[in-house]
Amino acid sequence: MANIKELSKKPELLTGGHRLCAGCGAPIVIRQVLAATKTPVVIANATGCVEVSTTIYPYTAWNCSWIHVAFENAAAVIAGVETMYRSLKKQGKISDEYRFIAFGGDGGTYDIGIQALSGMLERGHQCLYVCYNNEAYMNCLSNSSLIMTKDGLKKITEIKKGEEIYAFDQKTYDLVLKKCTGIFDNGVKKVYELETLHHSIKATGNHPFLVLKRNGRGKENEFIWKTLEEIKPGDEIVTLKNLDEGESFKFKFRKVKKGNYKVAHLNEIDLPEISSPDLMKYLGIYVGDGWIRNEKGEVGFALPENSKEREIFLQLHSKIFGKKIRKDKNYVYINSVNLANFIESLGFNKGAKNKIIPSWVFTLPKEEREAFIEGLMLSDGYKIKNSFRYVSASKDLLRTLRLLLQITDYRVGKIHQQKKEKGAKCVQRELLKDSTYGYICFSKRREWNIRKYSNQYKYQNFLIGNKYFETEKVKSIKLIGEEPTLDLRVEDEHNFIADGIVVHNTGIQRSGATPKGADTTTSPVGKSATIGKMQERKDLTAICAAHNVPYVAQASPAYWNDLVTKVEKALNCGGPSFINILAPCHRGWRYNPEDTIQIARLAVQTCIWPLYEVENGKYKITYRPKEKKPVIEWFRSQGRFRHLFKPENAAILEEIQNKVDADWEKLQKLESL
Amino acid sequence: MPKIIARTGDDAVAEAMRQINPDVVVAYPITPQTEIVQFFSEFVAQGRVKTEFICPESEHSAMSACIGASAAGGRVMTATSSQGLAYMWELLYIASSYRLPIVMPVVNRALSGPINIHCDHSDTMGARDSGWIQIFSENVQESYDNTIQAIRIAEHKDVLLPVMVTLDGFIISHAMERFEMLDDEVVQRFTGEYKPEYSLLDKEHPITYGPLQLFDYYMEQKRQQHEVMKSVAGIVLEVAKDFEKISKRKYGLFEEYKMDDAELGIVVLGSSAGTAKTVVDMLRKEGVRAGLLKIRVFRPFPAAEIASSLSHLKAIAVLDRSDTFGGLGGPVFEEICGALFNYQFPDGCRIPVVNYIYGLGGRDINLDHIKKVYMDLAEIVQTGKIKELVQYLGVRE
Repeated sequence: MANIKELSKKPELLTGGHRLCAGCGAPIVIRQVLAATKTPVVIANATGCVEVSTTIYPYTAWNCSWIHVAFENAAAVIAGVETMYRSLKKQGKISDEYRFIAFGGDGGTYDIGIQALSGMLERGHQCLYVCYNNEAYMNCLSNSSLIMTKDGLKKITEIKKGEEIYAFDQKTYDLVLKKCTGIFDNGVKKVYELETLHHSIKATGNHPFLVLKRNGRGKENEFIWKTLEEIKPGDEIVTLKNLDEGESFKFKFRKVKKGNYKVAHLNEIDLPEISSPDLMKYLGIYVGDGWIRNEKGEVGFALPENSKEREIFLQLHSKIFGKKIRKDKNYVYINSVNLANFIESLGFNKGAKNKIIPSWVFTLPKEEREAFIEGLMLSDGYKIKNSFRYVSASKDLLRTLRLLLQITDYRVGKIHQQKKEKGAKCVQRELLKDSTYGYICFSKRREWNIRKYSNQYKYQNFLIGNKYFETEKVKSIKLIGEEPTLDLRVEDEHNFIADGIVVHNTGIQRSGATPKGADTTTSPVGKSATIGKMQERKDLTAICAAHNVPYVAQASPAYWNDLVTKVEKALNCGGPSFINILAPCHRGWRYNPEDTIQIARLAVQTCIWPLYEVENGKYKITYRPKEKKPVIEWFRSQGRFRHLFKPENAAILEEIQNKVDADWEKLQKLESL
Repeated sequence: MPKIIARTGDDAVAEAMRQINPDVVVAYPITPQTEIVQFFSEFVAQGRVKTEFICPESEHSAMSACIGASAAGGRVMTATSSQGLAYMWELLYIASSYRLPIVMPVVNRALSGPINIHCDHSDTMGARDSGWIQIFSENVQESYDNTIQAIRIAEHKDVLLPVMVTLDGFIISHAMERFEMLDDEVVQRFTGEYKPEYSLLDKEHPITYGPLQLFDYYMEQKRQQHEVMKSVAGIVLEVAKDFEKISKRKYGLFEEYKMDDAELGIVVLGSSAGTAKTVVDMLRKEGVRAGLLKIRVFRPFPAAEIASSLSHLKAIAVLDRSDTFGGLGGPVFEEICGALFNYQFPDGCRIPVVNYIYGLGGRDINLDHIKKVYMDLAEIVQTGKIKELVQYLGVRE
């Protein structure tokens, strides 16, 4: 047991004058570790905060021998030093006792440094590796992704917890509806665009997609999850080609009544209560050619005199609404506050550049969707030989339309951009000014004669014959920059359909066809991140213990006595040792710099960072919190977990608490072995 | 009395390492260096050396541990080839800037892609800017001699730089040749004891290795490294003189073979020099004034001395066993052209210099190939025209 009076009298091996942030956990950890040494030490340091801030030439804050070489090799370097020591000692050239310690941040230890660490542990060098632990990460999609839900196509930012989302059943390859159990804001990340012939999606490099793995002739093919970074052009991913037959949509619109003070003159009009092919066609024309002026209570359409479109439109209008229409050379107008408000309530948006296809259109029966598409084609589309082209200034419209067409038996290419000058013809009209347009080309899906050539087609498209899904080859993957990202969590199948492509949900990096129930991990997410075991981060302490070294432990600078005792044990265990020490970082974790030790204590009291040791394979918990605090206190203490307190994330907190409790139980069981 | 035995290159280098008896060796096996590590580990197992020998999990960790061990104040050696050298690339620069006298035999093997285990100089040439001293060997005897001399060169207090001693993969490393092995005590006396000025294991004088040096100091550090390289040549010659006393073999920065009255000259490194010497003899019999320059110390490049040696020739062909893929030609060609340009004789005669890239991936180079080179040189002298500046020799076009 260390006596604090004695410890405080020892000369500091890491002196003042270094440039680490005030309140940084790392130097506190290092000083406590070095306070436990009784012999001369040599330190090897990985590249990182500590190394850079303590040795800015021509100054050094180290009062003992210290060497830094590179990022990933602190363990190998200290192994070399220790070996020279043994050699010189054997030759009688050195007689002093020395101890050898490597310090590495969790970046240089968990990932790039794990090879050297593993080698050092395996070879039995008498060195202590201390990991000062302050970081981790997550995977995600761009926040403009469009998700297929029961209520239609929605932006990922509009999804609510509990909503039913379409997913891919990995055993039956069927389309199923599953509940969304959480939405995660992952902040701004580097995002790639993956493109196939008919789909495109933006996601981070570590987002998993469902990819077909061909195992060769005569063998069964299977689906595996691969991250975007692992996918190459030519890989086949799973995309959506069809949705269930939906139902006509029931409108919930309340008409303005006669006598309402806001309306000067109210024209009576019949409004439909449920959608129909005729109405959908009408609305299709609206999207391309129509506009609303609420202040005037006016709905207008740009349909030139004597054109086919105007004829069809007038027929539809009288059939559905039966109302008078004002006409002039280029336009038709309907003066009706109720009609204007009704169309506005449907969610198509206003303005040529802003129009979209609202989510409910995706839930309609095929007949009505077809009618809608026909309407669109009458306004801004035209036919070229065997394919169709639709032009629009609204990028969002083209994106949503592309997905609508894909599930309505059409095949669509990519979204093209086109610049046209004022006066140029665009869909039989002259442009009033220079414009940038987008357009898509599409054609009717051809049905394959799969009965006749089943094996051949199955080879070409593995899911041929599947009602809802098909596979498409990846054409390209490009880095496009940084974007705000989000991710969803879906129960059971843990996947959903974003931009028409089957993607995995958050948290699980690589679980293949995860069996139901096997996935109990949770993943609190922060713009930066969290610590050690809470994440999908590997359990490095356990990995080191698995090397069967004499001593492995976890410690926290809030419990200095425990830490110092552990360091002493490690240095004298006669072989390799590893201690994982929590080193709170107030910049990354967003708390007040003076609270570092408090945070380090809270981690232990909530059992998020349990203090234990594994001595020659025997587990021992070295500190049991008298009062186990709930994890919510841990999350509340740091700014990086702010988003976890949104009402929709309540279940996440519960899941995390369960996980922490489960891990604590497991640790206690290990102790009893 | 020196023993005359038949050994392969790897074997001879391993024997040299045994006689040097370093404090620590950290080495990872890779063809064709494997036998060096194999033979040496047998010596360790037999207790014939005091060396602490570690088998690391990669070459990167091998060089990392070598740096740690050398900084801890003892004599350190390792060995590698090709991909192994490439894997430790970032550490080569660190080792030289930390002024650590690590000696590393490099068995020249082609760099992947495509993967190839045979000889060419792309691996060593890839490290020519790393600040290491590079010494090339022509045969088994030279490999052995160079390894021993390397220790004295590296540890000289005016040098303190790591040294790589190269030998051609398979051609030297796996081919058995007659060679003269010195007595153990002779080698031990020659190499002496390493007394480092700084050591991590000096508790009275703790030291920081590898601090952060920002824009205000980094360049001065590199300037010092640049300066140190200038004194290497003198020390190499000094050590060679001492070595001559114990072995009766002469070494310099390069070897001039029948260069005194030569008109047509070839510059070459490594084992091909042996083949070329035979061609020179043959041509001399026919009356052609052929000569050969074999470079031994490639880094630091003895530009002035080589330019002086080549200055009386009528035409020069530089043989490169690696390509720079976008440079003027092969690396040796670039150095020679630069040397001649800067140290040209004052009468300003411009000697035609051409480049032949040969032997990549172990492609054989034989007497006919080298004869062709001399014939080409003769043609250049006759016509005064260079048909092609850089050519590949021995390839199917």
